[in-house]
Amino acid sequence: MTESVVSARHLGKTIQDRVILHDISLDLPPGNVVGVLGKNGAGKTTLLETLLGFSRPTTGSSALFGEDSFTLPAAIKRRIGFVPQQDELVSTLTGGQQLSLTAALHRRWNRPLIAGLCAAWEVPTARRIQALSPGERQKLSTLLALGHEPELLILDEPASSLDPIARRQFLQQILEIASAQTRTILFSTHIVSDLERVANRIWIVRDGTLAWQGDLDALKESVVRLNIHGRTALPEHLDIPDIVSCRADGARATVVVSGWDDSQARDITQRLDADVEVESLSLEDIFVELHR
Amino acid sequence: MDDRSRARSAPRLFILQPASVVPIYRQLIDQVRRMVASGQLPPGTALPSVREMAAEYTVNPTTISKAYSLLEAEGLLQRNRGKPMTISARRRANGTVAQRLKQVQPHVEALVLAARQLDLREEDLAALIRKQMGEDT
Repeated sequence: MTESVVSARHLGKTIQDRVILHDISLDLPPGNVVGVLGKNGAGKTTLLETLLGFSRPTTGSSALFGEDSFTLPAAIKRRIGFVPQQDELVSTLTGGQQLSLTAALHRRWNRPLIAGLCAAWEVPTARRIQALSPGERQKLSTLLALGHEPELLILDEPASSLDPIARRQFLQQILEIASAQTRTILFSTHIVSDLERVANRIWIVRDGTLAWQGDLDALKESVVRLNIHGRTALPEHLDIPDIVSCRADGARATVVVSGWDDSQARDITQRLDADVEVESLSLEDIFVELHR
Repeated sequence: MDDRSRARSAPRLFILQPASVVPIYRQLIDQVRRMVASGQLPPGTALPSVREMAAEYTVNPTTISKAYSLLEAEGLLQRNRGKPMTISARRRANGTVAQRLKQVQPHVEALVLAARQLDLREEDLAALIRKQMGEDT
């Protein structure tokens, strides 16, 4: 079995009596692009930062490349790249100076790659960072995490300040990295459309827990909305497995289920003496339904 | 770089919509199946590589390779060592009649549901299907 790049066991984090993360267990094999989706304040940033070992978890543990996050050896840290939500650029430096400074901290630095991306992404390298727009800062901050070609790249809301063109270029770069199929990318976002393009896996963070972790395609295929029209009034308990949400009134019901399998439709039709219409849902719909 | 810009400027073969309710790999499989059935993709046609597809449509490469692998398992695509995948020479309908009927089952269910809502009679619907199938062959 391939070793997990990222793993967590019953990970929990409480800050000043407030539970931010609760009992999160996960495993991530290499070569995946994971989109971390959640409402504002759901705990995405705390999850990423705890996985990275920025602070000690309150309960449980997490590991990167099999090493405990909180005591990562330098050799492991070199294999990781991180783009924080709030950049940590030195505003009195120029973009070029900042890039050289970061390059000097790494043993390995792919100068041609970064020079190429600076040009393609139109990152001004001669101007002081304090004069850059939020989008330019975000691009620069991303470049700082790409130069050493990390095996694990973690990005916290990397595209939030980018215009549509810049976002597309950024996503293409992410896919270029993913095409190596050995590198792992973890990014948090609330831009659902970006996630649908580049992620093959998804973690949905809800109130500090993982409401879903798995294949994006499997999520889309297994969560459906059933529109049920009974010939007579429906029973109080519909007795359908894995109900996410349910609204029923007399002979009609709208039910969202997870773990759907098309073979269930016939059973429901017969048992409830009803027409069942199975409606597929977009990721955005699924996200909203999981928060009802 | 030259080759790449040329490859990028080639016309698109498929329509892939990431925001659709249908997963991207499903969209690709359905379109390849349809284009093969209609002769738009004749046997021997080379498909873009996984990498080219991912770049062109800005979608995850594993999504594309999943679709290609499933199409290969279905016998529609042929994997060639070190070369692009091609449409298989054998045009075939896979599986028994019962298995193929099962594939069409969801469409039939949708059709019947729509027909019921429109208060159509079974004979009229059957006549329409017969007419349509006659026209297409």
